[in-house]
Amino acid sequence: MFDLTPDEWIAVQLSLRIAIVATIVALPFGIAIAWLLARKDFWGKALLDGLVHLPLVLPPVVTGYLLLLSFGRKGPIGSFLADTFGIVFSFRWTGAALACGVMGFPLLVRAIRLSFEAIDRRLEDAAATLGANRIWAFLTVTLPLALPGIIAGMVLCFAKALGEFGATITFVSNIPGETQTISAAIYTFMQVPGGDAAAGRLVVVAIIIALGALVASEWLARRAGTRFHGD
Amino acid sequence: MKCYRIVLAILLALVLPGHSAFAQNKTILVFAAASLKDTLDEVNAAFTQAAGIKVTASYAASSQLIKQIEQGAPADVFISADLDWMDYGAQRQLVKSATRINILGNRLVLIALSGAKVERVTIGPDFSLAARAGEGRIVTGDVRAVPVGRYAKAALEKLGLWASVQHKIAMVENVRAALALVARGEAPLGIVYETDAKAEPKVKVFGVFPADSHPPIVYPAALTTEAKSGSADYLAFLQSAAAKRIFEGHGFIFLAKTS
Amino acid sequence: MLSVDVEKRLGDFSLSAKFETGSGATALFGPSGAGKTTLVNMIAGLVTPDRGRIAVDDTVLFDSAARVNVPAHRRRIGYVFQEDRLFPHLTVARNLDYGRRMSGLSADPAERDRVIDLLDIRPLLDRRPGKLSGGERQRVAVGRALLMRPRLLLLDEPLASLDARRKADILPYLERLRDEAGVPMVYVSHQAAEVRRIATSVVWLEDGRVKAIRGVEFLDAMRAIGS
Repeated sequence: MFDLTPDEWIAVQLSLRIAIVATIVALPFGIAIAWLLARKDFWGKALLDGLVHLPLVLPPVVTGYLLLLSFGRKGPIGSFLADTFGIVFSFRWTGAALACGVMGFPLLVRAIRLSFEAIDRRLEDAAATLGANRIWAFLTVTLPLALPGIIAGMVLCFAKALGEFGATITFVSNIPGETQTISAAIYTFMQVPGGDAAAGRLVVVAIIIALGALVASEWLARRAGTRFHGD
Repeated sequence: MKCYRIVLAILLALVLPGHSAFAQNKTILVFAAASLKDTLDEVNAAFTQAAGIKVTASYAASSQLIKQIEQGAPADVFISADLDWMDYGAQRQLVKSATRINILGNRLVLIALSGAKVERVTIGPDFSLAARAGEGRIVTGDVRAVPVGRYAKAALEKLGLWASVQHKIAMVENVRAALALVARGEAPLGIVYETDAKAEPKVKVFGVFPADSHPPIVYPAALTTEAKSGSADYLAFLQSAAAKRIFEGHGFIFLAKTS
Repeated sequence: MLSVDVEKRLGDFSLSAKFETGSGATALFGPSGAGKTTLVNMIAGLVTPDRGRIAVDDTVLFDSAARVNVPAHRRRIGYVFQEDRLFPHLTVARNLDYGRRMSGLSADPAERDRVIDLLDIRPLLDRRPGKLSGGERQRVAVGRALLMRPRLLLLDEPLASLDARRKADILPYLERLRDEAGVPMVYVSHQAAEVRRIATSVVWLEDGRVKAIRGVEFLDAMRAIGS
């Protein structure tokens, strides 16, 4: 059996916390933007689509650097948030969550958008004739039907956030207990003489978590799906 | 719907307990050169035992660390592997120059795998380094920024070897990464500090670069301008006899005058 | 009483219809492509006419001159679609209650029972739409539209997707609906046989234009001739 040292445990807990927070915070934005892209036509739609997918195609380090420039203590958004709300991202786990959320966001949006596009809009029309305004129709018809896709998107986002390395280490560096996630810890241990055992343990943990997330998502999505497909 | 409640509860349990090193204001954050890992960990543990204050250390190339401090990283103490990056910090008012002190020295060595059939050599102008590397590469830190890389380049240039080996150099982001590559047999040769070679049983010292072939390897330490109170005690501890024992035990040259 | 006077252009097709209906079941009769569904969608508020006026009794739902356009969710017009459009993620019971809850109406258990029995859907209440036959789904769709207490009920070819046997099964329910539900109906169809059985008056639509409006006597004549 393997035991994790306290440092390793901290890295695991931190990674989980960062990935969960990143996914949960990204979710409302993901749903909103996925809905916009799936349902609306507007000037700049292609641009928005491109922006959303940028973290998917940019080198992670570039994304991290851009985050640093805008959300760092000296960046325009970062200094505003710090001065007005006291929210600091740089070199804090919140920054790691931001980086991971940004990197996972395109995956979240893609899955949810596909889900929305697959929903029969005539059902939403039916809801309207039954007295549901747009918001209620969205909440009671569209969203529940999109649930399998939303769950799939969340798991993808969570997994990406858990494994994120390049953007995170560029934006918030590698501070044990604060921004040293599993990936960063493995990276660090690889450079420590005799650190291979620790790195190996963390690799196993990372695999277990990732597999667990996949299994859980399959189960949840299937449950959400069978509830109404009747097969 | 009940299962969703359970899932939610688990999520909350993981997310809420705020384990943040900075939640307790008393933790000192040290940004230290990569070559100090292990050694400084011991020193930090000794400090915590003596003073009861936790220390968290982040290790990377000195160039990286000072840039992070410039970006607003909340470090309290900065320990660099060369004087230039500390000067950089002083110029940009990132460190308190008044607290600056030279703590350690080191030597630059050429390493190979422990099992390699090489005997100790003297590194001089007529040393056929390129030939020794054969088909493989000589790995060291980035010669433009990372201290060990800059020392290496300076030494090779002074010895007139740079031109012949330039294309064989593989640059990595800090000295420990270079050490790991040689230890894994990925590269036949590496240029690291003597202390690194001592820490890794899988490599052995092939040769020592003459001290006059490169600028003296000096590790300055200083408080950052945003350092929290109590950091000065830590800096003082680095100069103590207890710290000296640990540093020298790992092969560092102790430069500070013990208090 | 429903009063409609609208115009709409959709690509090459243009629709211009003006008519009024009374209580009972008015059929919107005509061949495919006549514009019947578009017309009904305009009454429901799912499609906006280019110009015109739609009113039910004294309530104006649309008036281009006066810039009135009541959104669909506030028109209280029940709509039974050609393809039922039941919510697949809800049970039959929840489908039935959906309109009442969304419209903020108070519960009326007696009314609910009445409708459920009228359409004979009590055994289906706990099932999901995916597990129902076509005929059962359409009956639930009718019940769902009725239970929101609409001022008008639109049915767009509700039997089109059913086979002959199922059609024969449902027609009696629709006749009961016309006679017992107390809600005026607009019944869209291109099948003369259905229209003869259900309608009390007919609006004849062809190529986007109202060709004729006939009352009950015409239908009796149709039945007599057997055309």
